[in-house]
Amino acid sequence: MVDVRLDGLVKNKGLFQCLECGKCATSCPRCMSGKEYSPRLLAHKVIAEREDEAFIENAVWECLTCDLCSERCPSGVDFSGFVIEMRTLLAETKGLKGYRAHDGAVHSWMRMMTVPELKQNRLGWINEDLKVSSTGEIAYFVGCAPYFDVFFSGIEVNTLAISRDSVRILNFFDVEPVVLADERCCGHDLLCTGDRKNFEILCRLNYEAFKDAGVKEIVFSCPECYYVWKEFMPQVCKGFDLKVTLLLDLIEREVNRGGMTFSPFSRRVTYQDPCRLARMVDKVEVPRKLLRMIPQLRLVEMEHFGHGAVCCGNSAFINCDAYSKFIQIKRLKEARATKAQMMVTSCPKCMIHLTCAMRDKVRGGEWNMELVDIHTILAREMGWFKG
Amino acid sequence: MSVKILTICCNWSPWACLNQAQMAGFVLPENLKVIRVMCIGRINQALILKAFEFGADGVLLLECHDEDCRYGPGPAVGHGNVQRVRKLLDLLGIDQHRLVEKSFGAHEKTELAQAIEDFADTIERLGPITQKERKADHYGGCET
Repeated sequence: MVDVRLDGLVKNKGLFQCLECGKCATSCPRCMSGKEYSPRLLAHKVIAEREDEAFIENAVWECLTCDLCSERCPSGVDFSGFVIEMRTLLAETKGLKGYRAHDGAVHSWMRMMTVPELKQNRLGWINEDLKVSSTGEIAYFVGCAPYFDVFFSGIEVNTLAISRDSVRILNFFDVEPVVLADERCCGHDLLCTGDRKNFEILCRLNYEAFKDAGVKEIVFSCPECYYVWKEFMPQVCKGFDLKVTLLLDLIEREVNRGGMTFSPFSRRVTYQDPCRLARMVDKVEVPRKLLRMIPQLRLVEMEHFGHGAVCCGNSAFINCDAYSKFIQIKRLKEARATKAQMMVTSCPKCMIHLTCAMRDKVRGGEWNMELVDIHTILAREMGWFKG
Repeated sequence: MSVKILTICCNWSPWACLNQAQMAGFVLPENLKVIRVMCIGRINQALILKAFEFGADGVLLLECHDEDCRYGPGPAVGHGNVQRVRKLLDLLGIDQHRLVEKSFGAHEKTELAQAIEDFADTIERLGPITQKERKADHYGGCET
């Protein structure tokens, strides 16, 4: 193991501050689902028993990077940050490890996008009623939705509905967003599985493409893309000067300006916080505020919600296994317990993972529940006030 | 730069067929590599994508006829995977003709030899996918 770099990581990510209180392990969804994995023990091993390389390597690839441990940590140890950097370090020295879900197909298409001459054909989802342009100041970042809908067609997810409704919302505010044909994946899943080199290539290619289109501000509906552009793009791209906006923030800003109204939607709903949105960029209140503005919509919370929400079972398409399924079913049980008629989320990955759990053939649809993205509800119910 | 073609061949009907064709004098193109697998149903979306990721310019899947599958649903699973990967390739701007599946009975050696030659011609005509050679470097210097 590369000791100097590891020393630096242990120091910078605050691992020396660990009190061994164990709150991380008792909040970790993976540990609580019975997996022999503990953030606390990993911290202890990298500090005091570094010779146990097999344990450290295994543990580093186990984490979901959901950040719940850091949320609970009284000493502010940045555990997910540590794991992500450790993966990069281990990938460089010992190879990319960890079991990649779907045999790594998702990561394959992301790596295929690192070829500069790539000419994608990804705009087929733009219906005639959507107004988009190819140059301009405000862009909308679509992400991997066109690919997800093909790859996951077996479980019938419709993540492109999120993109269509996001463009509808922007059109509603008289914005004709730039949607680029050569936009690439934001690279989040490559970053979180240790492939830093290809992640950085994607970052640079994306930055150049948006700069070339004359874009000044990019709007995001996907929490992971937003997280990457906000936290990592300025590190990777020199002179990064694009404004990065979350669509939910933009809607809130417009709502605050007045003149808008929402049509009634008589439903009892619960909200699944995506880990990237709630914990990593601290957007817990915005989605709730917007949902509460819809008349007759009753928002009820699950046992774990907001900053303490439990992961949808998987992140970056790594380590999907029986423990992930356990976490997902537990989450769906929590949602059921609220007696909500519908579960709302704001992340395409939450949608894919929870839908997959619901489609489990063995359980025979026992946990089926209507699952809708927040942008879809907002796009459908928003309108101008006609007094 | 010459093209690289990968053929994934089911162990049962198509493999027997390929053997017969070769015994009758059929010579595989030099830039074509054959991998024998137990069933095309094993070849999931990820493996096909990976072939392209690692630098294949065309992938040909040789499978049994639907009703001949030794395991039951193999070719049907293959059809679904090929359909989806073709759509993914299209999104990535890669010509869908670069991925083809063909089914053969054990006696159809002439048809099989013809199919391989036709596919090799198509890929020759389409040329390499990228101008640059894809090396291990493309994989971030990381083993997978």
